[in-house]
Amino acid sequence: MPEFRSGRRRHPGRRAVLAAAAVGLSTALTATLSACSAASDTASEEITLTFSWWGNDDRSERTKKAVRLFEREHPGVTVRTSNADFGSYMQKLATQAAGGGIPDVAQLDYRQISQYAGGGTLLPLDDAVADGTIRTSEIDEEFLRTGTYEDEQFAIPAGRGITGYAYDAGIYKKAGIPTPRPDWTWQDWAAANRKIATLGLKSPDGRAVAGANDNGPNEDIFENWVRSRGGQLYASQTKLGFTEDDLTEFWTFCDTLREEGSVAQAEDTAQAKTTETSPIGRGLAAADYTWDAPFPGYAALLGDDLHFAPVPTTDGRQGAYFKPSMLLGIGANSEHPEEATALVDFLLNDPRAGDALGFTRSTPPNREIAARVAKTLEGPEREIYEYALRMEKYGLDAPPTAPPRGDVAIQTAFKRAYHRVMYELTSPRQAAREFFDEANRELRS
Amino acid sequence: MSTVPTRAPARAHRTTEPEPPAERRHRERQWPAYVFLTPWMTGAAVLTLVPMAVSLYLSFTDYNLFDPPQWVGLRNYQEMLTEDPRFWRSVGTTLLYVVVAVPLKLLLALGAALLLRSLGRGRAFYRSAFYAPSLLGASMSIALVWRALFNDGGSVSQVLSAVGIDVGGWVGDPDLAVFVVVLLTVWQFGAPMVIFLAGLQQISPDLYEAAALDGAGRWRQFVSVTVPMLSPVVFFNLVLEMIQSFQVFTPAFAVSGGDGGPADSTMFYTLYLYERGFTASHMGYAAAMAWLLLIVIGVITLILFRTSRSWVFYADTEGR
Repeated sequence: MPEFRSGRRRHPGRRAVLAAAAVGLSTALTATLSACSAASDTASEEITLTFSWWGNDDRSERTKKAVRLFEREHPGVTVRTSNADFGSYMQKLATQAAGGGIPDVAQLDYRQISQYAGGGTLLPLDDAVADGTIRTSEIDEEFLRTGTYEDEQFAIPAGRGITGYAYDAGIYKKAGIPTPRPDWTWQDWAAANRKIATLGLKSPDGRAVAGANDNGPNEDIFENWVRSRGGQLYASQTKLGFTEDDLTEFWTFCDTLREEGSVAQAEDTAQAKTTETSPIGRGLAAADYTWDAPFPGYAALLGDDLHFAPVPTTDGRQGAYFKPSMLLGIGANSEHPEEATALVDFLLNDPRAGDALGFTRSTPPNREIAARVAKTLEGPEREIYEYALRMEKYGLDAPPTAPPRGDVAIQTAFKRAYHRVMYELTSPRQAAREFFDEANRELRS
Repeated sequence: MSTVPTRAPARAHRTTEPEPPAERRHRERQWPAYVFLTPWMTGAAVLTLVPMAVSLYLSFTDYNLFDPPQWVGLRNYQEMLTEDPRFWRSVGTTLLYVVVAVPLKLLLALGAALLLRSLGRGRAFYRSAFYAPSLLGASMSIALVWRALFNDGGSVSQVLSAVGIDVGGWVGDPDLAVFVVVLLTVWQFGAPMVIFLAGLQQISPDLYEAAALDGAGRWRQFVSVTVPMLSPVVFFNLVLEMIQSFQVFTPAFAVSGGDGGPADSTMFYTLYLYERGFTASHMGYAAAMAWLLLIVIGVITLILFRTSRSWVFYADTEGR
């Protein structure tokens, strides 16, 4: 009985609910309508571009400065920027690509090009390059080709990086090793590490100091090594460019050096994630393989004795090459491709943008801008700039085109396979076989 | 139990007020409940059921985030079970972890609960103190601190070498790294402990009194009174912890720096799933792994429920 009454009394309440819902709905509608009209009012004038990149605060500030110069030059265009650290940026961009829309302008990694271009995520840029909307006359032709996929241009390199060894010149001197030259060989490098190990130096926590990092898990070093012997990492988009024997030989070389204590020990290699936790960063080694752009970070951490040595050669043939440290691409679904190309061109070729950006994306690919900005450099930054010039003069083989789709997975497989060698869970030969199985599976799919 | 009082008035209506059709009235009184449930039901459908259905579909495709998914049938499942040695290594690592971490955590939780029960004053304080890690433990920051503790030159290796055990950093040692994750989990024993404590307080003191009168010592009381009376709570905790442990992710991700290293020693099932899906972009394969995990956890839970009949004692069903 009482429940029935309360049920009756609920009817006005129900009406109130409906009324409230109606009010809510109409408010929402009005809001949407007015939003629409606002959008259509200004669409003819106001354009908003999105632009995203990864990197540290310094890069972020410099990039925003360049973007503001662009906005001043192009009234009516607003650029909404966003940035993140490398790992989360990669995942976010992949998710955006899956959802059908990467930003109008996006910074891309070399390893992403094939996947993104092949999946139709990037706008082809051939026309823009051909008609000069994006000027490329000051960019090295072979270097520009790193942004192609199946002979179509999909991205423009925005920075030019090269590898080398950050090394402690003080320790090298103590061991009687001459300053490394661009033609020193892998044997010279191994001998140098042995000499340093026999010095009997102690790290801050009392352990022996080795010559360098262990090269084994790093696919970049292997690529330099295999190129110096005339091979390459990938023969095509579906095939590796080296043999199981090549890899076995490389890993045996690394394995031997580690076992005799000439390079960093397994647990230290496994724990090396940053400059600070790298063997050289912890005082456990005299050298560390790295890229030119992070080198100033090593020097800041470890002092003035730190210099940048060339990658060793095989009988004088250099395996290092100029690699795009990052590229710029335009989303295939961009609503304003014209303005987006203009932004890419501005960032790459405008002298004022060049001044604002500096070397924050490694050496600018535009030669004139690089030379202009280089005049302002000093210390470690000047050293890596001169290093790049010296390597250019020495003569490097052309960079490979963008790696195939499976490359990200293959790179991790490479590291993992060697880790199993390093912890003596398997032999170099067996690890090479496992790696080939996994890599071929990736390249097939 | 709960259905009886709500139904009784409904029956009363039908007999006392016959004019409006009873069915309609019944529905009229139910619709507000559904209105209030709408947000939850929408959420469950949009955020859980639909993604699950999509994931099931994707597990039969070669979806890679970029190209439209192509149907490949059971290819992913087949590759996983027959061609991928890393899949089986991740299964092994995860099983080792479950078998070691779950019993350890539950024993510690039970031990702490027993101690706390006998504690008079200060129980509330210690209960909160022990519970705190469970609140913090799932966070990334704690896992990072944990990693720093067990790193080379971290506090743990320093303390151990001070007492003559020189093992170096655990994080860089493939034999020990998995135990860093195990310890991080076991350290969060507070959550099952609180449940155990509540269970212990439910046990009637009469039972202990009766046992004491019959001459039972403390151990006998524990075995014959505490253990059977607590078995439903043990069962509950066991199922819950087992399910959670199979899905361990954050601590392993943080301790290994995201790569399941060194040498895959902390490559747990979910971490491998994540790597397949988000690093290597094999979403179809990752979806298949997720479904296999769901099925395996389901089967193990079922087995636990089956065996529970022989060892879990429900006081209120006794004598029925």
